[in-house]
Amino acid sequence: MADWRFAPPGATGVLDGQAGPDAGTSDEMAERAELLAHRWAVRRDRARRLAIGAAGLIGLLAAWQVAAVILGDEVALPSVSQTVAQFVHYLGRPYPAQGKPLWFDLYISLRRILIGFVAGVTIGVAAGAAMSASRVIRHLIDPVIEVIRPLPPLAFIPLFIVWLGIGELPKEVLIIVGVIPVMAITTVAALDEVPEDLRLCARTLGATSRYALLHVQIRSALPGILTGMRICMAGAWSSIVAVELLAATSGLGFLIMQAGDYLNTALVFAGIITIALAGLILDAGLRGLLTLADPSRRR
Amino acid sequence: MAANAVARGTGPSATRAGRVADGPQPGTPEWLPAEGAHVVLDSVGKTFRRAGRRTVAVSGASLQVGAGEFVCLLGPSGCGKSTLLRIIAGALECDEGSVTVGGRPVAGPAPDRGMLFQTPMLFPWLTTRKNVLFGPKAQRAAGTDERDDPELDAEADAILATVGLSGFSDAFPHELSGGMQHRAAFARAMVTRPSVLLMDEPFGALDAITRTRLHEFLLRMWERYRITILFVTHDLEEAVMLGDRVAVMGGRPPGIREVIDVPLRRPRQVADADTEEFLAVKRRVRAALSAPSVQRSE
Repeated sequence: MADWRFAPPGATGVLDGQAGPDAGTSDEMAERAELLAHRWAVRRDRARRLAIGAAGLIGLLAAWQVAAVILGDEVALPSVSQTVAQFVHYLGRPYPAQGKPLWFDLYISLRRILIGFVAGVTIGVAAGAAMSASRVIRHLIDPVIEVIRPLPPLAFIPLFIVWLGIGELPKEVLIIVGVIPVMAITTVAALDEVPEDLRLCARTLGATSRYALLHVQIRSALPGILTGMRICMAGAWSSIVAVELLAATSGLGFLIMQAGDYLNTALVFAGIITIALAGLILDAGLRGLLTLADPSRRR
Repeated sequence: MAANAVARGTGPSATRAGRVADGPQPGTPEWLPAEGAHVVLDSVGKTFRRAGRRTVAVSGASLQVGAGEFVCLLGPSGCGKSTLLRIIAGALECDEGSVTVGGRPVAGPAPDRGMLFQTPMLFPWLTTRKNVLFGPKAQRAAGTDERDDPELDAEADAILATVGLSGFSDAFPHELSGGMQHRAAFARAMVTRPSVLLMDEPFGALDAITRTRLHEFLLRMWERYRITILFVTHDLEEAVMLGDRVAVMGGRPPGIREVIDVPLRRPRQVADADTEEFLAVKRRVRAALSAPSVQRSE
């Protein structure tokens, strides 16, 4: 093997004294300054975007409050303050029609979602990885997914109740069924998208085949897989609320249904906003992971 | 090889003197010359079989590349030049003939043969420094590199200074310009100390100005390290600008048709492209490219 050394830090590059922005130490300083300025501009743009977004939400709340005050009908459209009051009131106190406080319904819904989501993502990613690795498995599973995927998971609810009863299991299975095809497809796409040469590149740098698979191919597919998880999380919420409206005795969907039956519209709104906030926070967590996995999204 | 030494114009001692003149500052250790490895291709052939159809990608390709020599493989698309490079890299196995690097037959990809691709192929989730250290860390995981983190960090600092990216060690690839990305990829390939660098149309997708700058960069780097470089291109001018020799590929079945010496001075400048000698070599290579035996490749 060749035996030579690189210049120690502080030694000048070979390009010194040559013209052009790609050469020379003074130009390097300017380029460094440009990089820092670029990063600062990215941060400033993000702060501005967040401020505009917050203004939009505040505007929506203001419009809601004004409309509610003008309408003056608590059942048709409760005001923001009435909704907040109901939320605070029932957060820790059981709703008489249902017998459980709001935080408990939130906990029940979150538990169903997280169990179903984690199980579904695990199975879906494993299926996608197997499909990407083996042509036979891909051709075997692909048509199954193509048949299941367009079906709304809600169509399975009666079936799961017949098979699995009305306990927690059918709700979790419902989410799993919704998550698996989406995760399998996005995982296959993400793994297929990794250029063959990226693995070869890692091999020529001295990585073993196993190391290249783990640290390059799978690592490279991670942002795509996380994007699939965000799509699944949104789908999981609509599934779980629907099944709770139809066939449950707890959960946020059930609470909304009960509050609606008793014409407590403010509590319906409170439940909807709780779902929105919980969904937003879970998505923010996934988006945070995505940003960690893909630095080019840090903007 | 004797003809080749003449072709270089300047002997090794002359280049070394030149190197010291514009090389490291006083007080820093003297550069040790790189030992490039001989690459010997002996009637290499490769046929792809897909869906019952046979495609001869390259056939009967023979070429001897001296240690520290810069050889360009020039030809139109589909002439087998990339296939040949991948066989040397160990990514493909040839079904005829043999390939040896430094006297040893090629068996799979290994860090003694660094490779640079059409795109820089930087890992987008790693900073420049971590990209550069990917090889050493992968080798540490494989048990072939036993250096600890401070040693590797010093190594990364040194090579980043050499390619002029000291200020960008914490930048991610998407924050670098096209030229910087290629320099980072070069640093990443060089840090594992290959004896041969395989370059597959590395600057093909760049604008002409950036490409010229990278030509200059590559020439300076090669003059300093003198490792063996095999450079695939379909750009005639690029091949003449960079190479000691140009292997013209094409024909049916595709193979090496002619190997042309480039008797231009070393160290070479980009401005040398304006000289009469340069034009004369270009004319010869173009004539070789338009020979009937090469043309038939379409």
